[in-house]
Amino acid sequence: GDGRRSVRTSGELIAYKNVNDIPQARELVIQVDQKNEAILLPIYGSMVPFHVNNVKTVVSQQDNNRTGYIRIIFNVPGTPFSPHDASSLKFQGSIYLKEVSFRSKDTRHISEVVQQIKTLRRQVASRESERAERAT
Amino acid sequence: MLLPFSLSLSLTSSIVQNPGQLRVHSGGIIWKKQGGGKAVEVDKADIVGVTWMKVPRTNQLGVRIKDGLYYKFTGFRDQDITSLTNFIQNAVGITPEEKQLSVSGQNWGEIDLNGNMLSFLVGSKQAFEVSLADVSQTQLQGKNEVMLEFHLDDTTGANEKDSLVEIGFHIPSSNTQFVGDETRP
Repeated sequence: GDGRRSVRTSGELIAYKNVNDIPQARELVIQVDQKNEAILLPIYGSMVPFHVNNVKTVVSQQDNNRTGYIRIIFNVPGTPFSPHDASSLKFQGSIYLKEVSFRSKDTRHISEVVQQIKTLRRQVASRESERAERAT
Repeated sequence: MLLPFSLSLSLTSSIVQNPGQLRVHSGGIIWKKQGGGKAVEVDKADIVGVTWMKVPRTNQLGVRIKDGLYYKFTGFRDQDITSLTNFIQNAVGITPEEKQLSVSGQNWGEIDLNGNMLSFLVGSKQAFEVSLADVSQTQLQGKNEVMLEFHLDDTTGANEKDSLVEIGFHIPSSNTQFVGDETRP
């Protein structure tokens, strides 16, 4: 392995260990980092990473002006959780980022991002459930 | 001190990134856009806070001014920080505060409000920040969800493909920070 996958706190998956591990962004647009299993969202001029395992669903739509919209919904307590997220109960005092929406001028880019996130999410979820099964 | 830096001007949720030159002098700071044109001038008397943050492959200087505006300059090398920190301390009389960027990718943390800026902190490190001055509407959904809608400014967003339109927070009932204070997100 690359060693990164073993890095966990409280059983959670970590996207990056160091600031400089974040891939260089040529443009301030939504990116999917397959290698680090992260999505990077442009928020106020910065690329903000989220581990794909914290993503619950992602939806997109397109209006008549060929403008795309993407909505990324994260796991929060009180919604059906995958088993390994039970550890989130530890963070009861926390506030959760629940969702983020973007408007995009590039509808093709939005569809690509949605596909990439869905695929990556599936890969990580199946790996994690195999891991959980092996552990029991 | 005259050094080439790029500027991210955090005036709206649509961020304009412009390369230019930053001059920090005894009276304040001046930033000039590359090739002439737009300039940002801040008098030292108007500066209320200065921050340093390590961002991917470079460093970011944050300058908060009286009227709530927040300028972010990126492109500083590690070796620029000490001299610039000393200069700012002496010339402006403000000690730059060091902030850390959260890169773990978690979506749970704390909210910190400072002036117009709302910061989302993960383990006391900053994951992101947004300006409440750009929020056009706040909505409560149920007792645990807060939605912030952002203005979309088509004039500044010209060179930006993906623009932030909405952020929603889930505030569990067990959270005590914002209990009974529905005027704040």
